[in-house]
Order: sequence, then C-alpha cells, then structure tokens
Amino acid sequence: MKTKIQKSKYTLLLILVIGILSISGCKKFLDINANPNNPDTAEPSLLLPTVEAAIGQIVGNSFQVYGGMWSQYWTQSPNSAQYKTIDQYNLANTAFDRPWLTLYRNALINCNLIINSKGQSLEYMKGMAYILKAYSYQLTTDAFGDVPLSQALNPSLYGSPKYDSQALVYDSIFNYIDKGIALLKVSSTSPGAQDIIFQGDIPSWQAFANTLKLRAYLRIVKADPAKAEAGIKALYATNPTFLAKDAAIKYSSIGGNENPLYNEMLALGKVQNLVASSTAVNAFMRNSDKRLPKFYDLVDGQTTLNSIVQGSFAASGVAKVVSIPSTLTGGNAANSSSATAPVKLISASESAFLQAEAVARNYASGTVSNLLTTGVRASFVATGLTANDADAYFAAAPDGQAALNAATTSEALVKVIITQKYYAMCGTQGFEAWSEYRRTGYPDFLITSVASTIGAGRTPLRLLYSNAESTSNLNFLGNVLIYVPVWWDK
Amino acid sequence: MKKLLQSLFVLLFFASTAIAQDRTITGTVTSSDDKLPIPGVSVRVTGTQIGTVTDANGKYSIKIPSGSNTLNFSFIGYIATTKVVGNSNSVNVVLASDSKVLSDVVVTANSISREKRSLGYSAPTLNNTELTSGGSPSAISSLAGKVAGVNVTSTSNTPGSSARVVLRGGSSISGSNQALIVVDGIPIDNSSVIGGSSVLSSVDFGNRGNDLAADDIESVTVLKGPAAAALYGSRASNGALIITTKKGSKEKATITFSSSNTFSNVAKLPDFQNEYGQGYYDVVAPDGKSATFVTDLKENGSWGAPFTGVVQGWGQQIDGVRLTKPYSAIPNNVRDFFDTGFATDNSLSVSGGGKSTTFYLGINALSSDGVFPTNKDKYNKYGVRFNGTADLTDKLTAGISFNYNRIDANQVGGGQGAASVFNNVLQTPRDIDLPALRDLNNKYYGYGYTDAAGIPHPNSYGYYGTYTQNPYWILENFANYNDVSRVTGNFNINYKPLKWLDIQERVGIDTYSDRRRTISPKYSFVDIDQTAEYAGSNTRTNVGAYQIDQYNVTELVHDFMVTGKHKFNEDFEGSLMVGNNIRQRGTNTLSSATNTSGGLVVPGWYNLSNSNGPVNIVADNLSKRRLIGLYADLNLSYKNLLFLEATARNDWSSTLPKNNNSFFYPSVSGSFVFTELLKDSPVSNILNYGKLRSSWAQVGNDTDPYQLLSTYGKTTINGNFGSTVFPFGNVAALTPGSTLGNVNLKPEITTAFEIGADLGLLNNRITIDASYYKSNSKNQILAIPIPNSTGYGFSVVNAGEVQNNGIELSLRGTVLKSSDFEWGLYGSFTKNKNKVVSLMPGVDQFVVGGFSGMSIVAAVGRPYGEFYGVTTLKDDQGRTVVDQATGMPLSTSKAEYLGNYNPKYQASWGTNVRYKQLSLNVLFDAKQGGKFYSRTRSILAFVGASAETGGNRFGEIWPNSVYQDASGAFVPNTSVGYVKQDYYGGSLPAGFSMVDGSFVKLRSASLSYTFNKAQLQRLPFSSIAVGIYGNNLFMWTASENQFADPEINSAGAGNTQGFDFTAQPSVRNYGINLKVTF
Repeated sequence: MKTKIQKSKYTLLLILVIGILSISGCKKFLDINANPNNPDTAEPSLLLPTVEAAIGQIVGNSFQVYGGMWSQYWTQSPNSAQYKTIDQYNLANTAFDRPWLTLYRNALINCNLIINSKGQSLEYMKGMAYILKAYSYQLTTDAFGDVPLSQALNPSLYGSPKYDSQALVYDSIFNYIDKGIALLKVSSTSPGAQDIIFQGDIPSWQAFANTLKLRAYLRIVKADPAKAEAGIKALYATNPTFLAKDAAIKYSSIGGNENPLYNEMLALGKVQNLVASSTAVNAFMRNSDKRLPKFYDLVDGQTTLNSIVQGSFAASGVAKVVSIPSTLTGGNAANSSSATAPVKLISASESAFLQAEAVARNYASGTVSNLLTTGVRASFVATGLTANDADAYFAAAPDGQAALNAATTSEALVKVIITQKYYAMCGTQGFEAWSEYRRTGYPDFLITSVASTIGAGRTPLRLLYSNAESTSNLNFLGNVLIYVPVWWDK
Repeated sequence: MKKLLQSLFVLLFFASTAIAQDRTITGTVTSSDDKLPIPGVSVRVTGTQIGTVTDANGKYSIKIPSGSNTLNFSFIGYIATTKVVGNSNSVNVVLASDSKVLSDVVVTANSISREKRSLGYSAPTLNNTELTSGGSPSAISSLAGKVAGVNVTSTSNTPGSSARVVLRGGSSISGSNQALIVVDGIPIDNSSVIGGSSVLSSVDFGNRGNDLAADDIESVTVLKGPAAAALYGSRASNGALIITTKKGSKEKATITFSSSNTFSNVAKLPDFQNEYGQGYYDVVAPDGKSATFVTDLKENGSWGAPFTGVVQGWGQQIDGVRLTKPYSAIPNNVRDFFDTGFATDNSLSVSGGGKSTTFYLGINALSSDGVFPTNKDKYNKYGVRFNGTADLTDKLTAGISFNYNRIDANQVGGGQGAASVFNNVLQTPRDIDLPALRDLNNKYYGYGYTDAAGIPHPNSYGYYGTYTQNPYWILENFANYNDVSRVTGNFNINYKPLKWLDIQERVGIDTYSDRRRTISPKYSFVDIDQTAEYAGSNTRTNVGAYQIDQYNVTELVHDFMVTGKHKFNEDFEGSLMVGNNIRQRGTNTLSSATNTSGGLVVPGWYNLSNSNGPVNIVADNLSKRRLIGLYADLNLSYKNLLFLEATARNDWSSTLPKNNNSFFYPSVSGSFVFTELLKDSPVSNILNYGKLRSSWAQVGNDTDPYQLLSTYGKTTINGNFGSTVFPFGNVAALTPGSTLGNVNLKPEITTAFEIGADLGLLNNRITIDASYYKSNSKNQILAIPIPNSTGYGFSVVNAGEVQNNGIELSLRGTVLKSSDFEWGLYGSFTKNKNKVVSLMPGVDQFVVGGFSGMSIVAAVGRPYGEFYGVTTLKDDQGRTVVDQATGMPLSTSKAEYLGNYNPKYQASWGTNVRYKQLSLNVLFDAKQGGKFYSRTRSILAFVGASAETGGNRFGEIWPNSVYQDASGAFVPNTSVGYVKQDYYGGSLPAGFSMVDGSFVKLRSASLSYTFNKAQLQRLPFSSIAVGIYGNNLFMWTASENQFADPEINSAGAGNTQGFDFTAQPSVRNYGINLKVTF
C-alpha cells in the first residue's frame, strides 16, 4: 500500500512538472500551424497549363455545347434529356456557375498570378499569360456581355468587383494583346512542354496573338466600326504573321486527359445527348459537302446519315435513330476515339477567313478568293480530306464559288466568308460560330428551335449570368434575359 | 492565487498522509410513497468525497472519518435529505419523492457535481429512463421535445442517421452550431461528414455523437448557455450535453439485460396525382385546351394521356412478346416499394464492486435492416463499455473508463445521382407497378437475360425505362459501406491530501477510424427491344467506380484541477478550483478512387488496383491543432440562500496567428433561493421553492488549422460533370486554392446573458423553470464566399455579429397523485429570435450552404439560415406575373429571401400516467414557421407525378396571375392559359420548391409494465419491465407540404439545414422492449 501511495505521488508530481513544462514550452508546443498538405507558392510554369486547360474545358465542352446547339450543328437527342433546356432556350442561371468559375478562378486568376510573379527571365511566359487573358476575357464577354474586369481578380481591394461595359472589356483585350506581343519580343526562358498549346514555340504565339487581335477587332465592327477599322489597319501595319496551323490543345485517352466534351459524356454515363441537326446537315447536303461524314457518325444499324429538326426531340414521329457528332468533334459518346479530338482555340481555317473578311471590308489588302480558298482547304485537310477535295467542293457548291461570284458588295462577300466559316467550324468551334452568327446574321438558314419556350421571334443571344455571382457580388447588375443582344451584336 | 499554488507545492512535497479514525455506519433507505427500499441512493459523508450507494435492498454501509457527523442522501426523483449521525452506527432514512423528477444534483462542466439550487443558469437533466422509454434510434434524437431550448433535428430517424442538436439557436455563422458532447468529463468528437461526391448525391453516414449507446447513459445534463460551459472553453460556446455513463455500486452485483425490437415504416411520402400516366403531349390543340399524346414506353414522365383503364402494352418487347396491363394508376406504387424495417437492440450490463472498487461492464449490439427492400440497407453497431473506480487509499481514488464501438453499415445513396434509389423510385410513371419489378430475374425487369434459344445476353436489359434504372437493381449493385472503429476512454486520479483540498488529473482520448467504401458497378447495357418503340440509342453505361474514404481522428484531452474548499463560518462557504487543460486534435483524411473517367478495368472487382487509368487522389489531408488553457472557478455560498460563481479562462491556440493566439474570457453567475427567507411564512404553503438566477459569460473561440495562408493545389478543371485532371500527360500544374488566407485573424468572442427563475408550487406539485437569454457572437471567423470574379471563392475574415435572444419555459405538474395512481403533465415552449447584426463593411450577406440554385445565407438584419434564391415573380400586390404569350410564371431577375430553416418557435407537451406498475408516456412536439427546400417537389413536378401537376393540364390560367403589357402595367390575366408540362417540366426557379416546414409530431409514446418484487419472488430477477413504444408516430404538416417530412435533410448535421435533396424518407418506429435485472 505504501509503495502505491508513493508511486501515485510521483505520478502526480510528474504530471505537474509536465504541465508546467508544457506551459513554458507553450510557444513551441503551439507552433504547428504550417500547412503540411499544400504548398504556398507556385512557379509560373506550373500555372500556365492550368490556364490553358481551363480554356480547353470552356471552349471544348461547356461553351461548345451551347454554341454547337445554337449554331444548329447539333440538337438534343430524342432518347435522352440532358440538354433539353438548351434547345428550349429555357436555362437556369445556375447552369452558368461552373463556366463562370472556370473562367475567373481557373483561367484568369492564374494569368494574373503569372503576370504578377517575380523572377528572372519570365517575359515569354508573361506574354503568353497576357494573350491568354485577352482570349479568356473575350470568351467571357462574348458569352455574358458586361463582365467584371477593372476590379476583378483583386480580392484584397475589391471584394465585389463592378461590371465593366463590353466596350471597355474589348479595349482591355486589345491592350492585353499588345502587352503580350511586346513581352514575346523579349528573349527569355520558354516554358517548353508546360505550354500545352504550342509547346513553347514563340513564333506560333506571335501569330496566335495577331490572329486573336484581328478576331477581336472584327467582332466589334458593327458596334464601333471606326475603332475596328483603325485597329485592323494598325495591326496590318506591323506586318503581322497570322496562324497557319490550329491553336489547339491535344487530348489523350488517359482518364482525365480526354477531350473535355467526351470526358463530360463519360461522366454522364456515355449517354448520347447530342445528335445531328437538320439545319447544318441539310446545308452540307445542299452543297454536296464531303466533310459531312467527317463531322457526323452513323449510329449502330444506320447505313445512311440522317438528322432531326432543331429542337424536335419530343415532336411526334421524330426519328429516334439519328446520326451523331463524329469522333473528330469529341462528341461520339460510344466511340473512345472521341477522347483524342483536339480543342481548337483558333483554327487555321478561321485565321484565313478572318483575313478574308479584313480584305472584304477593305481594311487590308489582299484577295478575298485566295484567302477564302485557303480557309476552305485548311478545313478539308483538318478533317482528313485533301486540298483537291476542297477545290472541287468550292467550285461546285452553291455556297462556294457561285456565291462568291454573285457577291458584289462588301456585305455580300462577308456573307460568303462567314457561311464558309460556319461550315468549317462544325462540331469543333461551335461557340465561335454562334458568336459570328450573332454578329453577322450568317449563315442565314438557321431556324428557331421548335422546342423554344421563350416566345415567337426570340432566340438566345447571350448566356445568363452565374447565379453565384448574383448571391455573392454586391455590384451584380441583375440578370439579363437570354434574348437581349450584347453590345457588339447590333 | 499565488498563495494557493504555493501551498499546493508545499503540500505535494511535504504533506504526509493523515491516518483517520473511521467507523462504519449502516442503514436502509426507503421511500415515503410505498415504503419500499430504494436501491441506488447516493450516500455521502457531508463535506467529503466519501460516498456509496444503496444496494438492491436499499441497504448501505459507509465508513465515516472521525469528525464527520452528517450524511447526505440523494436520489433522482427524491428530495435530498441530510441526517446527523449520532452515537448509533445505524441510520435509516425515509426519502420523500420529489415531483420535479429532475435530480437535485446536476453534473456540470468538467464533470463537477453541483447542487441544482446553486446554479445560476438553466441546466435540465434527463435520466436513462427518460432517454430510452420512447425507443428513439439514438441517445441524441431521444432529446427531442424533452427540454426547452433544445432543437433536435433527426433526419430520417433511422439507426445511424444524422441527428443535430442546437441549443438556443445557431450563433456561429460558419462554424459548428451543435452542442459539445461531453462524456464523463471528456469531450468527444461529433463530426458529420456526408458521403457521396456532393450533397447532390449524398449518403448519410450519420454523425459521430450517435455512436453512444443509450443504455450506457446514466444521465444527460443540458448546459444551454455559454455560462454553464465556460470551463470547456471554445467548443462549448454552443452549450454542451454533459453525459454521465453508468457506474457500478460497491459490494453489490447487478446484471441487467435489455432488448428493444423495433419495426419501422416510411412516415411521409409525397402526394401523387392518379389521373395521367406514362408519356407526354404531342400537339396542343389550337385553343390550347387539350392535346394529343405520345405513349412513350421508355419514359419516366407521367405527362401522358388521361387514364382510360384500357389494357395496353408496356415495357420492352422481348422474345416477340410485350407485357400488357390496364392503363390506370397504381396509387401506392411508391409506398409499396418500401418494406417494414426491423431493428433489434440488445444490451447486457454487469455492474458491481468490492469494498473499495466499482465496475460497470456493458455490451450492446444493434442490428438494423431499414425500410428499403432487400437487406442491403443495414446498420450494425456493437459496443463495449467498462467503467471502473478504485479507492487506492482513503485519500486517493482512481477511475478508468473505456468504450469501444464498431459500426458496420451499408447506407443507401440519396440525392440525384445514378446510385440514388429514391430518385429513381420517384421517377416511376404513375401507371407502372413498381413493387412488381422486384424480381430482377424476370427478363422484363432486370439486366442481362437469356433468350428463348438459351443464349445469354449479359449486356442487355429488359427494364422498361431508359432514363431511370430499376431501383431494386440499384440496391443490389451499388453500395456505400461504412466501417467505424472507435475507442473513447479516460483515466482519472483524484488525490485528497487534506479535508479541504482536492487534486484531480484526468486524461482522455477519443480516437476512431471511419472507413467508407463506395461501389458503383461497371456496365454497358443495351435495351433488348428492337421495335420502333425502343428505337434509338438507349444504352445505359457506367464506367464503374470504387472509392475509399478513410478518416482518422484522434483527440487527446488533459485536465489538471486543484480545488480548495473553505467554510468561513456557519453560513458562508466557498471553493476555488484552478486548472489546466491541454487538448490536441489530429485528423487525417485519405480519399482515393479509381480514375474518374476511366473507371474500372474488370467489372465487379472493387479495388483501387483495378483503376482504369491513374488513381484519383480525392483528398490527402493531415491536420493538427493544439490548445492550452488555464482556468479558475470560484464558488461562494451564503446559507442556502445566495450562491455566486465566477470563472475565468485563458486559452492559447495553435490555429491563430502567433501574436493573436491568446484569449481570455470570464463568466459570473448567481442564484438567490428567496424561499429560504419565506420558510416560516404562509407563502411557503403555496410557493415552497423559488430561485432567481442570472449569469453573464464570455467565451472565446479559435478557428480551424491552416486558415492563415493561401495555398496552391494540384489542378483539376471541372466541367459540369467531367473534369480535366492533371498531370496532363507528363505536364504537372498547380492552381490557387479556393480560399484566401488571412494572417491577421483574431479570436471570436461570444457574450451571453441569462436570467431565470425556478419555482416549486404546492409542495412541488407544479414546477416552473423559465429563462430569458441573449447572446452575441462577435468577430466570427468566416470563410466568406466572395464572387468568383475576384479569382477566389472564399476569403477568411473576422467579421460578423450574430445575436440570439429568446425565452424558454418548462412546466411540470402533477394532476393526481396517490400511491397507486399518478398523473403528470409537462410542457415546454421555446422561442428563439436570431438576427445577423453585422457581417463586415461592404458585405451584406454570407452564403452558409446550399446548392442547385438555392443558397442558405446569413444576411444582415435577418435571421441566420435564410433561404435565398430566384423564385416566381410577383407584382407588388402579390400576384404571380406570367408571360403574356405562354401564360407561364416568370422568374425574378435576382435572388430573393424565401424564409428560414429555423422554426419561429417550438413547443412540446407530454403526459406521464402511472397506475400501480403500469406507466404511459406520451410526448408531442411542434416546430412552427420554418421552411425547407424540397427537390422531391421539383423532381416530381418535372416528371408530372406529384398531385400539384394533376388536374386540368392545358389552358389553365395560373391562379391570381397578371401579365405585363407593352406599357409595363400589370394586367390581370383572365385569358392566357399555360401548358402544365411546359412549366413543371421546364426550368422551374429554385424558389418554386420552397415548402412550409411547420409540423406537429407525436414524437413518442410508450406503455410499460414493471413487475415488482412480490411478483418476482420465486424468480431470480430483481425486476422485469416490459413495454411497447413508438416514435415519430404521426405528423401533421402544413397543407402546402405535400412532399416530405420537414425534418429530413440531405446535408446531415451541418449548417446546411432544411434541404430535402431527394433525401431518404423518414420513418416511424414502433416496437417492444424488455428489461430484466438480476
């Protein structure tokens, strides 16, 4: 018994001593708040691929679906339901939370972090970041109209960034491109393979920047013709190189590295929601376009390609067996070859069509027909056909040489160019095709989806603001209805 | 203070053990009511820690030191009595019953027993019988309706489902608002981590506070305000549930066996329409009043033609034959899908002790098969508890407590994912007999079949639907296994070197492993039917998935307390306790899954090594936090009249910035038993007991670890469903985390004030307990959501003040009382008013949670927990604005406030009736004025199955609607009808799905019979009790609630409440129990 008491006493004493020691050693004892899970710094070269992949997800999946359906390449399958509301033009703001987040929190913030990073020999990477920032802001404003820019991406100063007018956003886009071009001229370290678009090739970046600038100025040609003209003339005065190959991200069949549209379909259980729309398919057929079977695949049991009327998924007697987007577009859910479809930020053919339009509008010198043919050839080649196929098509197609010959005015030339651009963008650049349709009204054969629920004479002219923005941003402007045009859409 | 510490040292080093001269007193304690002996009465030598309890025959034996001459006798339900010990060594006592039923001794903070009259705050106590009689699935859910000021939300009311306890309203904007759960002085973890990829596909794995076995619990004391809990520091700022587990009695062995066998049914299901079946409209007639229809045999929608009763084909044509059935409603096709659940909960305890030791050993096993068909929804829980005490010498006692729990469960998935059974059940057309599809070997119902020629087609399916899957098949093939192993325990040692000095050391641990395995099968099924009805692509494909979530949590707590007592004179006493608390909490989480888009290689093999592509590391997190506290507690009493308590505490936390990591907080409380002054006045015949009390307290709070710096993580770019995952080939990438850190954080402070009265009237025939309280929580540490356009999602700030004030009223009365018959009534009323006073400059509101377009916010000037979302547009006269062309309601252009998930008030009333050995308990409770969001409503609207989609579907004019004409004026709509399918089947605003969450429930009812000694004299039992019970038996909900039990919640016990995201329906339980004591 006695030893027990002694032991307990010592135990108590020990505890007391430990207690006192721990209080005096308090500081050290409490110094355990360094995060063991995540780094608190990041090299710019590790942020660059984040920006590029974010853009790939937007252009290749989210905006691709809206653009692809509203350009009427695709429509909702009568056998599934995921995108019904897109054909109905009846969307909830929450549908845009994710793309808005991806643009600001994956793409744009990382552009800023690269641009603001301190370190040696970062000019190339900062130049790329500026160009990608311009590209991302153009995507954002073309989709949503007025968006936060001047106060965006600066949470310590602006907890609720105000919205800037689209005109101001475009001014900033030109400014960012200029800064990017200037930085690309300063010899510095290339990010190499960390750049998943051009693998660090600077001349390609310069061409990309120039082409983007041309695209952006042409977009505002109706809203501010003087600025567009001056800007394009100034651009041509620098003797610019334009893209002659696609600015694209190549995907693989590794899980999580697939083409984003296909990857989305995998996550949706490989349900085929997108099928061929008669709007585009009939137009290809009218022109006996050999690209048609490249852009669309037959489904099991089909021998001939077919399509359904835009938005007719629930109509009586609608065909249930419908051709689908091809693996080349990433839109064939059943075929794993869709995984490797590239996402095109700006395609080589688009570059030629942009140059053709600059000439057609007399902002630049050159020959429209040459540039137009270059664009059509690039598109054919991209689908695995040949330049000869392209020439044969162009010579025979009503929307080809015949239309060009008939075009006497600048506007008529633009119609031919944009219509050809529409064909070339089928399934791969749906959002850009839809934006160009909004800007120019071409092609002129789009219809109103028969599933529309927003009333006669109305079509979607913008995406809706993110619901999260309306609940968290005190300077939120308020929702804008889907059929209200953006500023440049005059 | 310094002096006291000095003397403590002196004592430790030099004090020798005093040998006391003891003598032994024995006696019997009996009840004044029935003159029978009372077992379990606590007998204590006044002014010492020496104590014992009476045995089964009411006998006790206690050694009292020389110098002591009084004994205290106390027992729950009886008025405590003090007896002076004369020369005789035998003291018999008769205890008078106390109709208050509540014990006079209350276990408060740090396991300190206090006389109830001395408390300056409300601290109601419930005993084991009150907790277990209603057969609630957990100890926590059994608190519902029993104590004023306690808001218990029991989601689906099944064993293992989440139950949330909030005392006096939520005060923390983003932190936990749940009460701290303390078992035998050691706080235990009460995490609630919802399973599933998001709340949209939630799996309720319950909260860890539910692991406790109700049978092991002796009592629960509810410490509602921070005043009561100041000594626990930070985590008790939301109040605490102080749970005391059972202990053995000295020199008397008791064996108790109890068994509860519970049946359960689904309690509330939505109201359905029974007019229209599978299909959708084809062409609306030009007048808009009728339509032609398409009977689409693969549809999930009930937008088809009105029922005709005509026999027609349905489902797939297989081997040339299509099944037929009448085209008419199957009204109960959803209700009949569910089974009767069954749970059996058995526990055995052995307790006893030697001369100087006690022990309690309890084992229990709960095995439950829920209301979903098949035995896949199972929940098994096993537990062992050992509590022991030993008097090592008469000055040194030690105790040990050990509890082990194991849970082995499979929870059914909810939400909207492919694995959600209920989501697929609800999307069954009204004319399809869902329960008939139970037989998965039937080629028309199942997946995989053998054709007439005997050729197997494992990748074909015969189930009718192409948008949904057979829910029976989902139950068979998807799984959410849960395996929890948990040890909690503590060791304490008490040294009493001097009569007035008490030294205690206690070390506790709570450590558990929570391992979850989610199984999603790999398949690619094609429909068998090749006719036109099933033309097109109807494949059902899933790449398969296997995910393991491993959570390990270990919490260590140390307390060292020194208490000195002093009696200044006959009337004036005091005690001072000083203590040190150290706590460390470590968690590690590892969640990994097979490749998201690649899925599984080999179907049916659930192992990470079967990943098709790189394994997806969902989360790999370590976290550790430490806290050091020093505290003091001063108690003074004057006669039995005035009591004063003051506490002070300082904490140092590892989670705050080094220069701001110390925070101090005090409390003071007092009580005044004014009836002591009226003892001899005639008033005391009416008002026999009266106490006024008041308290004021502050509690500081730290934050989670690693909130100070912004960090980067591996990049994943999410689409709506898919995602681009890095490494991208060989390219690695980083991206900033969603949260901006803050190096200037300060601790949070909650200040609370309380005033109240306890009254006993007519010799305690009526007792009243009333409180008013007010609390303000300031400088809250919040990760406030900031617009994504800032480049981040959240920013950690000190901001915000939330105020709660409210009243609590408890009333108990004995209507009739005789030795054979007793009838008591009781009730409680709680009204809590909650207001977000401020957030931070420029910030008006803060999103607490939510999804699918519906947020829950804390908005300045509004109560915490307000719903906020886009809703149906109304003009200023409250009329619905419709589109002039389509007649369909328009939505607001911005989100609006849509009500609150907290009830405006809650009330309960119950009755206890005892006739001889038969007793009946009935408890009703009500919550009024809260709202909830019901996806059950929106999905049923989408598929046209709910009652509200019935009636005339074409050309109806939206009730009380207006449209806006070209001039902007609102014109009453008398002409423009709408098409129901277009509206309900389209994009409904989130606000459409808000539902009034008010309810009244028959919370519990029980009837039990206890056999007395006389009846059992030939049997080896000392008592047998049998009973029937039920809980969640009936509910009355608001008339607009045609959808769900307002208590169900998809987000478990967190701050996102009031979200029925196709949550599992709640159940009503009823059963029979038996308790035998040897």
